[in-house]
Amino acid sequence: MLREWKEREYIPPKTMIQLFIKGGFSLGKVLLKNTGQLKKARGEQIPYIPPERMYELPAYSPDMKYVKSDEKYLRPTLFCNPHSPEVVALANHLGAFEKEPYEYASDAFEFVKRNIILQILPLDGVVPTLRRGYGTCIHKISVFIALCRAAGLKARYKLYALSVIQAWQNTFFSQDALMQEWYDAMGYFMLHGEGEVYIDGRWVVGDVGPTPERQVAAGIPITQFGEDSIGVWAEAIPGSIMRLESIPLGLGAASRLLMEHISPGSTAKINNNVLAMYEKGKKILEEIGGEEAYNRKKRSGYQMPTLELEQKGIVFE
Amino acid sequence: MITFEEYVKDFNAAAQKYIPSSFTPSEEGVFKPKDFFNTPEKEANEYKFKAIKYAFKHHYENNTFYHKFCRENNVTPDDIKGIDDFGKIPLIPDKFFKTYPTGNEFAMWLASIYTGDLPNIVINKNDDHDAILNKFNSAGLHISYSSGTSGRHTFIPRDQRTFYDTEYAFAKSVVSMLYPFYEYELHSYVMMPNPLKTNVFAGKVCSIVFDVIKHQQVSLDRELSADLVRAAMQQNLKGKLIRYGMKKAREKMVSKMIRWTRERYKNGDKIAFLGAPFILYFVMQELQKNGESFDFGEKGAVVTGGGWKIFENQRLAVEEFRKMAEETLGIPPEQCLDLYGMVEGNGWMVHCPEGHYLHVPNTYYHVRVLDENGEQVAPGEKGRFAFLDGVAMSYPGFIISGDEVRMLERCPVCDRTTPVLEPEVKRVAGAEMRGCAEEMRRVMSMDLGG
Repeated sequence: MLREWKEREYIPPKTMIQLFIKGGFSLGKVLLKNTGQLKKARGEQIPYIPPERMYELPAYSPDMKYVKSDEKYLRPTLFCNPHSPEVVALANHLGAFEKEPYEYASDAFEFVKRNIILQILPLDGVVPTLRRGYGTCIHKISVFIALCRAAGLKARYKLYALSVIQAWQNTFFSQDALMQEWYDAMGYFMLHGEGEVYIDGRWVVGDVGPTPERQVAAGIPITQFGEDSIGVWAEAIPGSIMRLESIPLGLGAASRLLMEHISPGSTAKINNNVLAMYEKGKKILEEIGGEEAYNRKKRSGYQMPTLELEQKGIVFE
Repeated sequence: MITFEEYVKDFNAAAQKYIPSSFTPSEEGVFKPKDFFNTPEKEANEYKFKAIKYAFKHHYENNTFYHKFCRENNVTPDDIKGIDDFGKIPLIPDKFFKTYPTGNEFAMWLASIYTGDLPNIVINKNDDHDAILNKFNSAGLHISYSSGTSGRHTFIPRDQRTFYDTEYAFAKSVVSMLYPFYEYELHSYVMMPNPLKTNVFAGKVCSIVFDVIKHQQVSLDRELSADLVRAAMQQNLKGKLIRYGMKKAREKMVSKMIRWTRERYKNGDKIAFLGAPFILYFVMQELQKNGESFDFGEKGAVVTGGGWKIFENQRLAVEEFRKMAEETLGIPPEQCLDLYGMVEGNGWMVHCPEGHYLHVPNTYYHVRVLDENGEQVAPGEKGRFAFLDGVAMSYPGFIISGDEVRMLERCPVCDRTTPVLEPEVKRVAGAEMRGCAEEMRRVMSMDLGG
């Protein structure tokens, strides 16, 4: 079993272990320093109503096509079962096996990015995520990856520690003193992820985490399939990028401990902020005349140039 | 008292090596004005427009990636008809200069961000970053770097002329603000790595001090390579050993600086401390601990730069630092100035002695303060520091940084003619901590954990 775990990348890589040790140590320090505040936060009742699901789940029928393979990046992994009826039905609904791979992957990306709202909660599988209609960025990536794998497209996780733009910080940390102190102590946020799909001989990245509305509320461009969040709203901590077939073991338990037991009030605050941000972005989009107009404006000024390497006078020996 | 004209003339005589025989439109704003900070607005704007328009055209025509970037943004040099059009010039996020690949491709990356042609540079398969830097530098370039706390450096390629221009601008900015303090016979203590033994920009740029000041000492007289800095920032055994070694070196350095200060005081010399504030802080702390103090008065000056972090969780207030300098060294606050600059730019904003506001050298350098959407904020509002640099000829110096500033159209205290930034600059929340002093501090202190 251990060999299988290792092969499927269920064993957390060294980078992740280091990140979690540092994060756990840092959180421990913050909590020890603020026991009074933690006690208060734990007793705090934050009203929170989870968002409603924004889509209907397509009906499943047993004759629906899907790829059942044990090949790396195509097979089921932890919290990501591409063979589940809900995933298969949705994949078929989105045009699996009918559309060109890039077009299908892009549509799957758009579906997850737009329809599944970001909310902080302990990790679970793709089926509960699809039924609920909300989840963390990791839940969302798993759904995207499952949809790709069901359609026969190899897909994997790209996880990293990151520093984020101010608007993101305001949503996640600034409203909660403990979270803010933790972030300040670390200097970065422990984990974010993107999905990568193998199409035409290359891995194409897609960050399904932020809905367009949240990106609008943060004043950043609405990112598309093929576009990395790194350089747009996030900066990966060097050396922290991990490309994995599966979410590693332990991540679910760690998220449960943090979100349900240590500071559930903080989680509710963050979730309320995310929902408020979503509404704010929706309003801005209405005022500005839609996503196209918004994106045109955003992408006209503040962006990263692209660099193609030139040899010039360099001679390699 | 010496007139300002005579004073600048004396400085120019010492800095002769840095002054070209003829000026490009970019350089006129650096070498022609007597004082960057007190040039009549109309004249300053004329210099600035000429410099920036010239630089923009140069990069548009000679830099592939920037040309493409301008095309994507639908801007050409013809669109820049006046200072009001400066907002159209596409700005490169400072993070761009951290996006270098590893291995030999690093050399190609440097070549690709460089504007214009390069001499032939031979790179071997096993060359690391420092070897590649040294090869570029041996070919007559000046590749310098600064780092963030994550250890990922910002690399900027300068040609010889751009480097001389920035060194001159740096020294002239400081000398102008310290009027009438400067004279060639000064004794200076450079609180940075030896400029001749490092590619850390803040250290390297200080090499002009060796020409314009007769007597110098450096606090870190050893080679400080990019790999050493990176290794020192890591939480492994190697990093810990390096930091332990640096801690020991720091203790020695403090004792050496105190001995130097005593000797200068005894001889009645005029002295200047230049560089990272945390080093002088350690010296002053040691003096306080020993109950020792000096009274250099107007014979002493302090010019700091690079950030105000003392320990991982301790940031020193600039006023407190000035107070400490007055109490321990007897140097008046008017001669204790801070400077704000960065590896990506060639503009040096220096505190005025009267109000300690950071004055912008607006004869060749245009500052914009932008919100998260890239829109200009109103004067006095907080935003991201962005600049158009007329001096950078070897890379496009049109950059948006991760620093948070407030800019005022005029100094609320003195009557100099330039816009000012509020005295202390901070990093935008979420942006990586950086600054040359911070890098030095991290290498030289044992408190990396945090």
